[in-house]
Amino acid sequence: MNNFPLLAVSVESHSIDVYTRYLYIMLKADNLQGALQLLVLKILRRRANHGFAISSYIQQTSDEVLRVEAGSLYPALHRMTEAGLLKAQWRMSEAGRRARFYELTAKGRRKLEADEKRWRTVSAAVARILRTA
Amino acid sequence: MGLWSRLKRTFRSSRYSADIEEELQFHLDMDVADGRDRREARMRLGSMARIEEETRAMGIIEWLHSALQDARYGVRQLRKTPALMLAVVLSLTIGVGANTAIFSLLDAAILKPLPVKNPDSLLIVEWTNQEFPEGVSNINGDFSRISGGWVQASSVGANLYRKLAREQTVFAALMGIADPNPVAIAIDASPAEQVSLQYVSGNFFQGLGALPVIGRPFLDAEDRVGQEPVVIVSHRFWMGRLGGARDVSDRTIRINNVPARIVGVAPPEFFGLRAGQWTDVYTPLAMRVAFEPSQGIGAVRGEDDTDWWVRQVGRLKPGVPEADAKAEIARLFRNLAAKDMNIEAKKIPELISLPGRRGFDALNTKDASALWILMLLVGVLLLIVCANVANLLLSRSVARLRESAVRLALGATRARLFRQHLIESGVLALVGGGAGLAFGYILAKSIHLLLQSGRDASSAFDLRLDMRVLGYTGALSILTALLFGVAPAVQAARAELNDALKAQTRSVMGGRLRLPRFLVSMQIALCLTALVAAGLLGRSLENLKWIDIGFDRENLAYVSVDPGHAGYSAERMWPYVDRVRQELARLPGVIRVSPVEVRLLSGNGNLSRISIPGRASLIEKGVVAPTEAANVNSVGDGFFETMRIPLLAGRAIELRDIHPNAEAVVVDELFARRFFPNQNPLGRRFGFNPKENTRYEIVGIVRDTLYNSLHRDLIPTVYEAYLPDLRGSIHFAIRTTADSARLAQAVRTAVASVDPAVPVTEFHTQTGLIDRLLRTERLLAFVSGAFGLVALALVAIGIGGLLAYAVARRTNEIGVRMALGATSSDVIRMVLRDSLRIAGAGILIGLPCAYATGKILENALFRLKPLDPWTAALSFFALLAVALLATWLPAQRAARIDPITALREE
Repeated sequence: MNNFPLLAVSVESHSIDVYTRYLYIMLKADNLQGALQLLVLKILRRRANHGFAISSYIQQTSDEVLRVEAGSLYPALHRMTEAGLLKAQWRMSEAGRRARFYELTAKGRRKLEADEKRWRTVSAAVARILRTA
Repeated sequence: MGLWSRLKRTFRSSRYSADIEEELQFHLDMDVADGRDRREARMRLGSMARIEEETRAMGIIEWLHSALQDARYGVRQLRKTPALMLAVVLSLTIGVGANTAIFSLLDAAILKPLPVKNPDSLLIVEWTNQEFPEGVSNINGDFSRISGGWVQASSVGANLYRKLAREQTVFAALMGIADPNPVAIAIDASPAEQVSLQYVSGNFFQGLGALPVIGRPFLDAEDRVGQEPVVIVSHRFWMGRLGGARDVSDRTIRINNVPARIVGVAPPEFFGLRAGQWTDVYTPLAMRVAFEPSQGIGAVRGEDDTDWWVRQVGRLKPGVPEADAKAEIARLFRNLAAKDMNIEAKKIPELISLPGRRGFDALNTKDASALWILMLLVGVLLLIVCANVANLLLSRSVARLRESAVRLALGATRARLFRQHLIESGVLALVGGGAGLAFGYILAKSIHLLLQSGRDASSAFDLRLDMRVLGYTGALSILTALLFGVAPAVQAARAELNDALKAQTRSVMGGRLRLPRFLVSMQIALCLTALVAAGLLGRSLENLKWIDIGFDRENLAYVSVDPGHAGYSAERMWPYVDRVRQELARLPGVIRVSPVEVRLLSGNGNLSRISIPGRASLIEKGVVAPTEAANVNSVGDGFFETMRIPLLAGRAIELRDIHPNAEAVVVDELFARRFFPNQNPLGRRFGFNPKENTRYEIVGIVRDTLYNSLHRDLIPTVYEAYLPDLRGSIHFAIRTTADSARLAQAVRTAVASVDPAVPVTEFHTQTGLIDRLLRTERLLAFVSGAFGLVALALVAIGIGGLLAYAVARRTNEIGVRMALGATSSDVIRMVLRDSLRIAGAGILIGLPCAYATGKILENALFRLKPLDPWTAALSFFALLAVALLATWLPAQRAARIDPITALREE
């Protein structure tokens, strides 16, 4: 599960020593899901889309740094739908085929806002530490 | 997302999986359309089936995976604070263990259904009647007075039962069973041993669905007088006495010196129909004639229609409504009894059917309520433990707030943190529960010993750790984990982001420690409840122990022999009793000996109606009032000197009175007061029934004594001249110069010297008999006292720990105060005030709880109000003393704070 090298590196090299190795393991587990979820929410913000489009978007926009396996993406999409963050619907794709489209719900929008803010705070903090320490 | 919705989705319809399949197929096709090779795309997608499976079961797998991760992480976290965890696990062990112990006793004695097929369809058939039924001479089994002067009893005559069982149509089988009898059993050439035998009907084993594991059940034809005696032995007996031999069928053993053939071995878990009593040997009802031949007194034992000794248990026919069955069996009994007993219709007993899934009551109401009281107390104890553990974990979760906040900041959900802490509590509860199970098992065995003390060896409850006990302990551990785990988990999930970044654990939690204080106060309240319960039960026992019994209980013993069973006839009985009495009186250290029919305070006794010429008996609701009855005892000459019961007027029973037609009786003061108020009772006559109301003449008056119970209000007693009981035991009261317990061996030798064929059946000191009466009270007082002490210790830990923590958190503040001129005694006073406030709040909450507990206990208390001031004061001061003691260490530490160091730490 090394889909997010950026994240993994940034956490692994942190210099704050209060966390034990185990705490770190927990962070990683919490975080991978948190990050993927954040990305999906952000991508679906403007318009509804299907899973394949989401995965290609992440890959292209991150200059192939981030790669999402279908095995992680689809379970995540379903989980988010269950949690009420997304709404799923069968529609026609551009290619003229039936595809399952996901769009944000109001709850999803609120979640995106909150998570994005937090992400910025934390990554800024981490970046500051990386710069100064 | 809840575990439930995850589970639901995992097993959802195929439409759902078709959806997933189509979605993944689309992904694959798009990949290919993007110019990728189909095979490569396929590989990149991975196994579609796996993804589908994962998407479907995502919830569950993820949940399990992360739960496991949490548990592993939790264990590592717990191992970092071993002392704290040891305290937690130890507390849980005590709390869960005590509950497991009492529950397993309660379950074995009261709750567990019989180990037979479909116990729910069993009904116990008893009867009620307005009085002792006409045409019946003897009732063996239960016989009790119920409301309105009616009696309820369990047994009917053997032939009446057989007719009923044959003619009834509502039960699949109506089975008959007698109460267990001690018999002498001899296997091969080994000497005879006493075992417990039950007479049962021919359909007993088939009817219960407890078919023998070896051999066969009884045949109906075998329940006939004159048939060859056959027996089925219990599994325990087969293993223990017959060596578990497979070829046991058709072996012959001797019962009361009569050869009997073994035809089967009962199933291993089958103990009979009464929990706590293990029957060794079963034999058909009709075999009573063979095993207990009559001594030429009365008719053939067992088959006599006036002797009622067979209990009835029916198994409902499938499809027959219970109410119909009850009505039908009662109707049939009325018809049969009318034909057989030849009495007027309205005097025929009324059959009633009671639920039979648990068999016959294993405990009397007193013992049963004692167990329920203990269950209540261990519940209180467990709550105290939970409060204690919650506090310990709270202080720990405060220390871990920073960890929580960092995880929150990096994207963990609060739910996840909540769960993490709950899982840690679960791990603790699991360890504590496991240890508690082991501890509880040992505890149950010990309490069982107390409960059974003074009963014979065949009585024991089945205390195996079965699925019921395991399930109970498991459920209890989970409940406990929730109880003590929720508060710390909420605390952890409420962590604020900013606090973590500021790394100011001290300011994180409300400085007042409101929740921990509340929990400690609750603990004190519960502890007060437990202490008051223990105090009340203890004082009640003391009251009972030192109650004035009306005679000298020290240096007094009773020896019992049973010459009737050794074949003594009425003519030989007299000389035998005289000889034994002389031999006993000759023993060194013996002052006086007298035969007596009813040993005082042995729990047994005879009650008889008193009728006096010219005096109308008080009638209540159509029956003679209980105040019209008196205890009856028949005593030899010298009895009152032996017992040291003072003679107040007239004379005692003397040697010249000892003959079957004696008229002289001695009564006690209460008898004189009640039946001859303001008259001189000496020389007055009375009888035990209206037809013979001048049978006896009062020749003397003695002081009141207790008769067969320490609890009951005083009942008058009549002493008549001694007549040996030809069927039961003969008792001798022995007054000695020193501790009578030491005489046991000498007494046995003396009895054997008269006739070695007549063994001593019992030897008890008077204090031993009284102790036996107080068995339940002692058990209650002892166990509740022990639990009270444990509760007190837990409270000491709780309050001490809280204060120590509070002092540590306030080090700065205390430093400042001291720098500003507070003396160390000011600081001590401050901590003390804190402690008293917590204790005071707890006691205030506890008072109504303690009163409620007292109310619940009221029936178990003897000459004690639920609001006993002594008990209340004692509990109050005990708690206060413990609270102050527990305050001492933290207060000392607070007083030693050095202001300079404390301030520099900031």
